[in-house]
Order: sequence, then structure tokens, then C-alpha cells
Amino acid sequence: MANIDIDAPGTSQLLIGNEAIARGALEAGIGFAAAYPGTPSSEILGSLAQAAKEMGIYAEWSVNEKVAMEAAAGASFAGIRALASMKQNGINVVSDFLANLVMSGIGKGGLVLISCDDPSAISSSNEQDTRPIAKWLDIPLVEPGDFQEAKDMTKWLFDLAEELGTLCMLRSVTRIAHARGNVKLGELPKKQLKAYFDQIHDLKSVMPTTFMPIPSPLRHFFLHMKMDKAREKFEGSAFNRYVGPNKADLLIITCGSCWLYSQDAVKALKLEDRVGILKLGTLWPLPEKFIGEHLDKSEKLLFVEEIDPFLERSVMEMVANLPPSSPRPIFYGKRSGHVNAYGELNPDLVIKAISTILGLAYQPRDIEYRKKAEAFAKSNVPERTMTFCAGCPHRATFWAIKNALKLDGRGGVVTGDIGCYSMALGPTGFFQVRTMHCMGAGAGVANGLGKLGQFGFDQPVLAVVGDSTFYHATIPALINGVYNQSDFILVILDNSATAMTGFQPHPGTGMTAMGEPTKVVSMEALCCSLGTHVEVCDPFDLKGTIATLLEMMAEGGGAKVAIMRRQCELVRAKKEKPPYRVHVDPEKCIGEACGCDRLCTRVFLCPGLIWDKKANRSKIDEVTCTGCGLCVDVCPQGAIIKEAV
Amino acid sequence: MATGAKGCKELFSEVIETGLCALCGACTGTCPYLVYYKGRIALLDNCALLKGQCYEYCPRTYIDMDVISQQVFGVPYSEEELGTAKEMLMVRSTDASMREKVQYGGAVTTLLSLALAEGFIDGAVLTRTSDDKTPSPFLAQSADEVLQCTGSSYMACPVLGRYNQIPKDNGNKLGLVAMPCQVLAVAKMKKDPPENRASIGNVKLVIGLFCTWALSPDRFYQFLKENLDLSKVKKFDIPPPPANRFDVYTASGRTSFPLEQIRKFTMPTCTYCLDMTSEFADISVGSVEGIEGWNTVIIRTDIGADLVEMAKKKGKLQIDKLPSANLTHLKEASLLKKKRALNEIVKKSGDKNNLLYVGLSPRLADKLLA
Repeated sequence: MANIDIDAPGTSQLLIGNEAIARGALEAGIGFAAAYPGTPSSEILGSLAQAAKEMGIYAEWSVNEKVAMEAAAGASFAGIRALASMKQNGINVVSDFLANLVMSGIGKGGLVLISCDDPSAISSSNEQDTRPIAKWLDIPLVEPGDFQEAKDMTKWLFDLAEELGTLCMLRSVTRIAHARGNVKLGELPKKQLKAYFDQIHDLKSVMPTTFMPIPSPLRHFFLHMKMDKAREKFEGSAFNRYVGPNKADLLIITCGSCWLYSQDAVKALKLEDRVGILKLGTLWPLPEKFIGEHLDKSEKLLFVEEIDPFLERSVMEMVANLPPSSPRPIFYGKRSGHVNAYGELNPDLVIKAISTILGLAYQPRDIEYRKKAEAFAKSNVPERTMTFCAGCPHRATFWAIKNALKLDGRGGVVTGDIGCYSMALGPTGFFQVRTMHCMGAGAGVANGLGKLGQFGFDQPVLAVVGDSTFYHATIPALINGVYNQSDFILVILDNSATAMTGFQPHPGTGMTAMGEPTKVVSMEALCCSLGTHVEVCDPFDLKGTIATLLEMMAEGGGAKVAIMRRQCELVRAKKEKPPYRVHVDPEKCIGEACGCDRLCTRVFLCPGLIWDKKANRSKIDEVTCTGCGLCVDVCPQGAIIKEAV
Repeated sequence: MATGAKGCKELFSEVIETGLCALCGACTGTCPYLVYYKGRIALLDNCALLKGQCYEYCPRTYIDMDVISQQVFGVPYSEEELGTAKEMLMVRSTDASMREKVQYGGAVTTLLSLALAEGFIDGAVLTRTSDDKTPSPFLAQSADEVLQCTGSSYMACPVLGRYNQIPKDNGNKLGLVAMPCQVLAVAKMKKDPPENRASIGNVKLVIGLFCTWALSPDRFYQFLKENLDLSKVKKFDIPPPPANRFDVYTASGRTSFPLEQIRKFTMPTCTYCLDMTSEFADISVGSVEGIEGWNTVIIRTDIGADLVEMAKKKGKLQIDKLPSANLTHLKEASLLKKKRALNEIVKKSGDKNNLLYVGLSPRLADKLLA
């Protein structure tokens, strides 16, 4: 991550969108930042935490998004500017608090929520569009169209939040969050921050300072007044602008990274003098006057936005309210089918939409050339599906789970959760995970399955959850299982890292976001305190792990916990050398013959093992192998040999 | 009906899922996909091979009895009630202290110990009753270890899985004590030696046990666990007819269950088994009806004959003629099992020309079905 605390106003720095947002927050003088890691949002808090000591601010990885938002609100209540950032899924986690926070209003410190959405769900379980929550809960919402705006908008949002007395939200998407561009820096504030929660009997105010959502109708009324004020501010915002001719054949209305795609598309089609682009930076409340001023630019409106038809529907509502004599534009977008209401957009898709509407024939590139280029690019890529890393303890855990379930023979079911181990839905985890939804849902779903005995259900139930996810959202589900006596085993895959999002610390790691040592919240002590059966296994001890799982499945009797403890291989490999040198004895390896049928390269699938087609034998890929030695215990012929290094 | 190219898919559809599996262990041990666990064969992953040794050596997939007999004895399958046999005897160990520990006359223990002592074999794959009283396969490499394996639990045990686990480069000479179904599997292996396992040629001695049926190691074990303190059990016994009892000896005495109560725990496959006396073994061993402390021994091969002769010379075994009434009765019982089983097979297949796994000459089949 780049240093975001460079004190060089006026200079340009190459920043990813997330760093630009973090820089904007620093320039706004925040004192408090909290987040739960989640791609594509993680670098916001990551870079703030890195700069925290230098800048005299506080940054934390919270246990989950709800706590992060609530903690940030606490800082705001005491007059400190605060930020909470999260990926789109986190918005759902925090929504209950938000629905009350908008009513109570914020404190004297501006409070900003950053949501990084992930169209196409590149690193997510879904591609939920979080913009509608702004409309749903009455939250002023902005979305940057480039990196400079990411910084500038964030900074401005703190002023706006304080002026309105309400939470403000910035929505970003993967291609802004993770792409890199030049950002011109502003001043870093030098003032000392002072936190204070106003006293009940304060000479300056008649009413005590209290943050609460009641009386609800009255506060709701006030909130609408705040939103009207926000709309007024948005009408004149420089983040909204129009580019194009005075009279256009087509008017594109867009926001966010789609602003970039739209510009590229118009340029590629050389339609600068026929197609206009209305770029919106402030999305909610809709700057209706500003939009209204541009609506007569064309009879045809094309909405280019990811994912939901948020602007499209909102402008439709707005147009429906225009006087009867007003011109009625034709709407093109998701409803008309010209733009997908799913998946990321890109310049090609925008070109296609424009071409269809305007009846143009446009071929971005020769089809034959395209096919050749794709084939050539693929020729250099090794054939590999999504996989756990070589040496990953999860592979061992799922191997043990698979074998234990098969030996048990009752058709046991594994419910899954969010993390690297979600990949166990596929071949790398032997297709063991059968459900995957949101953080903590695996244990929740297991609670239901584990209570179906009266309906003849006798399949063992295993809920797998990562260590970070355990602290985040699984503890209530476990308590429920213990209390309501639901028969399932919570299998905690404790690799001592929030591995999928980039090794952020969590309560089990003993380290804070700012690099300070802290108390380790022991998951086994916590589970034991519930009075339930807790086992700790080393998943690399396949035999022992399988035996433990079999015993726990056989014994029944309410929710239990099996902790699979082994450090993430990526973390270990950074600190230590490989423990073993591993090789395949070609004399002992029987390859595809009966008695093996390529167990290691057909079923076990560690990327450190490769199938030598010519020799008809397995061999170690020395570049990929991390020397964990697990495959030695998997090979039925004893053909894989490990030597301690 | 020939075996053809069949693998574990057909092993499941034709044998395991139809209740024919005898838990002999022939398909386990080397195969990483098929594993014996608590009374069943579990399939851990799909094996993609169309032709598998699991199917080939299974004693419940097609067996041409004449071909197998030709391999083991050099003659077609005998139509005699007790199969190919050189001699039928009655023996017991001369070691009185040993006789207290063994099931009947100690013939198996004596012969194995002698074979080990004489370097005839280096080890023997046997069944040992574990501390929890479940039977498990065991490779005994000394007389002491052989003694640990005395006594029967009457439950099926995948002994051949232990043989399969012996590394293929291990050249040790082996003995094997097996049930009739397991002896059949070994005979199949002798006919078409397995690949990637220890050479079947290393198996120098097969001692087959008499068997009318075996008990399910899953269901029967559960029954025992519910009715007894298994930790105190010293010995199980089914005394010869007309006792009609299953006896369990503990330190405090004997608990008996009526045989009727026990029969429901027999392996379903035993109904379809024709072989009471392990007809393809070198030596077959059982009890002697009405004469306690002695074994019936059927010597079938030269190897078997040599070993018994050596035991006699060395004074390890006391040998007698099997009383003719006993021999007659044994033959009747053996024939009855063949007839019953074959009729049950026809009942199961629904076609008297479809004898499932049993490949008999039409003439013998007709004779047994009559």
C-alpha cells in the first residue's frame, strides 16, 4: 500500500481508489476509522491503519461491520470525525444500526460510511448494489467517477455530514477501489482533536444531548428536512456535470466507473458530437433540478450504471412528476434490455447498447483476430481451477471431513461460510461444502438441520467456519445450538489469519490493526465456556482428525466444536523455510493403475503435485510445492517421500 | 457369465448393495477408495477405472469353480461334499496349557507356530480380537503373536485387507487363516495374480476355517455391547449341535444366548455361500461334533499334508482318525449348505440358470438344485 500521509499538497500521487478515499478522510481530519476487511474495501482501513500513528488517529479492524459502524458513531457522538468502511455485504450487517442512526442523527463529528460494491462478485458471494439503501433509509449518497473524485468526495462528505447532522455514504465499486490513478493531494490538517460527550445538563443546550431514534415520526420528519437540504447542496455540486453537444441524439446518464466506460464508448464510436453524457456524482437525493435542465438534450435517455437500475428508476419517478406538457423521453437501460442488470459493465457493453439504440454497425475488432488472441493468451496459462494454495491446511481439513463423512456413512452434510474455504464448494475442497450464503450463515443453517431428528433426519451436520468469521458472526449461532440442543459440529478452520482479504488481524491473532500486541480472545476458552464438547485438531494429522470427527458425529447430543488449528501456509511460508523436501519415487508410484488411479493428481489436487503425462507418473512441482508433506500421508503406495530440511 | 471389465461401480451395484458382501477385505487395503469401516465397505471417492481388482477378486463376483480348482489342485472342481481332500483327521495340540487358551483342539495355533518356527512362513495374517472385542486383522510374526489371535468372535473380519496392505516389495513368506469366502478370494488371486500388491506367490500356507455363517461386526457387536460388559469377556463359543447356544465366557462364568436370537445378526451373504469347509485351502480346520477339545482337519494339498506330517513327527499334534459317524455328519452338513445356498441363489436371481457368482458345471448345479 502507498503512503497516504505524504505532506505534499498540490503534488500528484499514484493511488488506488481505496487509498484515495483514505487520503480524503485524512485531509478531512478524521480521528477514528473502523472496518471489517472485505474485498474490495480492505485497503481503506489498511492504509489508514498504516498511517494512524503518524497522523495521530485511531484505526481498528473491528470484529464485524456493525461494530465498526457503531464504534465510528461513538466517535462522532463525542465530536470526532469518523469513518466506517466495508464491502457491500457489510451494509446488510450494519443496516439495523443504520435505520436507527439516521433517526438519531450523528454527533458533532462528521460520520461517513464507505461501501465498496463488487459487480460480477469477483471476490464476493453476491454482487449486491448498495445504493438503494440510501433511498430506503434516507442517507445522502455520492459515488466517485475517478480516483481524484474518490479523494475529494470523501473529504467533502465529512463537511456535508456535519452540516446536515446526518450520516453520509460513499459508494465505490471494484474498478474504482482497486484501479490506480493520479490524485492531486490537498492539505493535511494539523489541529489537535479533542473528544468529549456533552454532559446532560449543559448550559449551552436546553435539551440533553441524546442520540436516539424516538420519537420516531418527529425525527423522521426532521430527517426528510435534512434530505431536502442535501438535495439543495447536490444541485450545485461540481461532481455532477454534462459533457456533449447542446442537442444530442442520445443522452447517457451515468455514475461511478460507468462514467469512464461511457466516455470510452462514445470516443471509440466517434460520437462526441451526437451523444451527450450526464455524469452524476451525487446520487441521492437526486439533484432533480440539475437533471431536469439536461433532460431536453435528447429524446432518448440511456442509463449506464452497475448493477441495479437505481438512477434509471429514480429518473423515471422524477419524469413522471413533470408537468403534463413536458417532453417524454424514451428510456433505454436495464428495463429495455439494452444494459445488463447483472455483472460488471465495460466499454464494449456500452458500445453495444449505443450501437443498438442508434442503429450503428460497430465491430470492436476482427472476430478471427480476437479468437486467435484469446487462444494465444490461454496457451500460456496452466490448466488449474480455483484452488487452495499448496500446503493449505483447509485442504487437509476437507480431506479429513470427506473421509470421515464417507466412513460414517449416513450422508453427512457440510454447511459452509465466507472465506477461502468457500472454495470447498468445488474440487479443491472435494465438493464438501453444500451451502454458502453470508458470514455466519453456515452455523445458522446447521442449527436448523440439527433439529430435524423428529422428521427422520439422521445425517450428521458439520458447519465449517473460518476463525475470523467465527468471531464476526458465528458465536450467536453456536450459542443457539448449545441452548436449543441442535445436533451439529461447528468446525472452526483456525488458520490464524483473515487470509482471503489479506491477513488482517482478528481477535484470535493477538495483534491490532495498528500493529500493537493485544489480548488473544481464545476461541476454545470461549466455546468451552458454553459447556459444550470442544476438540482441537491439527488437520495435518489426518488420521487423528478423521477419528475425532467420527467420534463426535457418533456421539450426537447438541452443538459441539472441533477446532482445526494450523497456520495459513502463506503466513508460515513468509517466516520459515519449507519443513520438508518432497519427491515422488517413480518406482513406487503406480500412476493410473488399479490401487491408485492417480489419487493425488485426480482427487487430492494439491497444485504442488503434477501429472507427468509422458512418464505416466505423478511428480512434485518444485516451484509450487511448499514442502508441507501432507501428500505423503495421502499416497496409497507410499511413493511420495519427504525428507526433513 | 464372465467377469469382463468391471470395477468398483459394479462391485457396489452387484455385490455390496445387493447384500452379497462378505466383508472379506479383498477389495480393501491397497485401494485408496474402498475402505472397511465398522461393518461396511465405504467408498471414499469415485475410482475412474472401468476394470478393477476389487471386482476381480471379490468372492461374490463370478467364479468358475473348475478353473479355480484346476489352479489350486490341478483338477476340476470336486463333486464330493467336502471338496478336494487328501485326508480327514481328528487332531489336538499336545500342549495342554495351550489347549486351555484355544477355541477347540489348538490345531491352527500349533500348525502356524510350527510353520513359523521351521521358517516355512515368516508371518501370518490372522484375526485378533481387540480389547473392545471387535475382530481386526493382524499380521503375526512370532509364536507369541499367534497365541494372541486364538479364539473366535464369530464376526466377519476383513483379513485380506491386511494382506493387501503388505508393501509390494516385501518378500516375506506368509500364512493366512481365513474363512471360506476369503479362501475363495485367495484362490482367485492365485489364478490371476494381483498387481501392485505383495506377491500372492508369497502366500505359502492357507488354513481355512469351517463356517456355517458369520455374524455382522456392526449389528451383532451392538447387540453384545447392549447386553454385556464387553471388557470382561474372555471367550465366545458356539458349541456343536444340539447345544443351539451362543456362549460368552467371562471371569464370573458363562452367559448363553439361544442361537435363534443370534441368527438374525448373521451376514445376509452367508445364505448364498456354498462352502462350509474352505474347500480351496491347504488345510481346513473345524470342531468335532460331540468330542470336546479336538479339531477336525481336512488335508487338501501337499503343503497341508507336509505340515501336518511335520507336526506329527515333532510331537506337536496328537492325531487320530475322524470317527466315521462324524465324517458322515460333516459331509451331510456340507452338502446341505451347498444345496440350501444354491436354492437361495436361484430364489434371489429368479432364474435357475442364473446362479449369480457361482460358476458350476450344469450337471453339478442340477444335482445340487434337485
